[in-house]
Amino acid sequence: MNSSINNYSNNILTNITLTLEKDENLIILGSNGAGKSTLAKLLCGITPSTDVTINNQKLHTLSAKERSKQINYIPPKLEIFDAYITVKAYLELSRLYATISVDEAIKTLDLKALTNHSCKTLSSGEQQRVLLVSSLLHGANITIYDEPTANLDPNRTIQVYKLLKSDSIKSRIIITHDLTLAYRLGYRIIYMKEGAIHFDGTNKAFFETENLKQFFGSSLKKIDNHFVVNL
Amino acid sequence: MRYLFPLLSIAIILIAPFLGQIPIEISQINIPNSMEHTIFWKIRLPRIVVAFFTGALLGLSGLLFQSLFRNPMSTPFTLGVASGATLGTAFAIVFGLTSMVALFGFLGAMMTVITLFSITSRLSGYETNSLLLVGIALSFFYSASLMVLFYLSDESQSYEIIRFTMGSLDVVGFGDTFPLILSSILLLLLAIYYKDAIRLLLTSYDNAFLKGIEVKRVNTVLLIAVSIAVGIAVSLTGPIGFVGLIIPHIIKNIYQQSADRLLIPTFFYSGVFLVLCDLIARNLGTSSDIPIGVITSFLGGPFFVYLLIRQKT
Repeated sequence: MNSSINNYSNNILTNITLTLEKDENLIILGSNGAGKSTLAKLLCGITPSTDVTINNQKLHTLSAKERSKQINYIPPKLEIFDAYITVKAYLELSRLYATISVDEAIKTLDLKALTNHSCKTLSSGEQQRVLLVSSLLHGANITIYDEPTANLDPNRTIQVYKLLKSDSIKSRIIITHDLTLAYRLGYRIIYMKEGAIHFDGTNKAFFETENLKQFFGSSLKKIDNHFVVNL
Repeated sequence: MRYLFPLLSIAIILIAPFLGQIPIEISQINIPNSMEHTIFWKIRLPRIVVAFFTGALLGLSGLLFQSLFRNPMSTPFTLGVASGATLGTAFAIVFGLTSMVALFGFLGAMMTVITLFSITSRLSGYETNSLLLVGIALSFFYSASLMVLFYLSDESQSYEIIRFTMGSLDVVGFGDTFPLILSSILLLLLAIYYKDAIRLLLTSYDNAFLKGIEVKRVNTVLLIAVSIAVGIAVSLTGPIGFVGLIIPHIIKNIYQQSADRLLIPTFFYSGVFLVLCDLIARNLGTSSDIPIGVITSFLGGPFFVYLLIRQKT
């Protein structure tokens, strides 16, 4: 049971080949505009293609229901058209395959105070928390998180880190710019640049000093297992 | 408030057949062959039925278009679907295909939806404002085509087309009303059937897709159904603008809920709204009825501008 994409190219991505074993987790790193989100949208089917295999089945041949069971994508922002859909209503709509109840899920990231707010009025950090909780309720086999910690304060980042690590998510692909998060999560890493995969290997191999230098040059400093931008 | 609107609406529907140029005594309507009997059963009642179901159909169509194209100003009228139906109908009148007026109305509506669809698929991420511009461009194209038809038509045909474009609820007997009643009820049932999918589409297309909705199929089915229904309504009554724009917005403001919960209220109150407009049109004291399209447009035009201004802020 594995998932893969084989030698895929489009106007942004070039020669993308990637295989994930069952229950394997992955971190996607890369500069802005490297094609990370493009790859994510391809993997979850939002960008149609015939080259993605999920759990040994071609993604485009699956029914919409079956596809939603296999893979879910959590965007960096909560885009919502209707102003009358509250946080609670949104989460209820998101509950598909998970056993956790909406009320339990709301507690995981303290969303109780927001439940009756319209999704349109949320700050970007609140949006991200709602989106994360929605992924727990969806309960897909693979969940792709697109920059899940980008707008969070430090306390929330710790909460989200714990959640991302937890067993309530089966298998995850996490796109991030936060190297400390990537390091702590410890999952396999791919590094993307200009639409191509420039590194694919273990977490340990990626964070070797020599390897880091190759990708980030002098713009990054490692201080006590934390990665700091060298301003 | 909770009981006021439903009661008021029912009152309007009940009073409507009795008010008009010729007053009707309630005791007379069941005497066969009396004038009251004929006016009540053959003219007033069918007219109110047509008004109700046309309004209901247009209101529901507006709500569905606003939801599917995710723009508060997209309705079958602003996107040119009704103009397409009008053009088709005028075409049938000019070329003497009077028995196929409804079919041509429907074809005109369909043609527009197919055009809109093929253009939408080229726009990334459903840029609905551009879609509105396409709708405006289409409407210009259709009015130019309508001019050509005027040019080709004789005097009586021209008159027929002009009367048609003003919108009219004149019907005699119930014979012509069945396609309208049937299509509006079927559209309501279809919308109720897809209620959950519509709710997810109201979040975002990507979210609905990820949650296992066959987005393309739901969209296509609903848009085609709306086009058929609007085609049928327009071919019978002519283009009656703005019902699909005003009522869904007012209903949303009153109920403060999303569209999937408002299918039945929109259907009902849009129907009542047109019955009321018709009641006004018939009782203004002029020698002949003011065309219904004039009344709805007088109310709807300013409301549309109001929406435009409010959306900006």
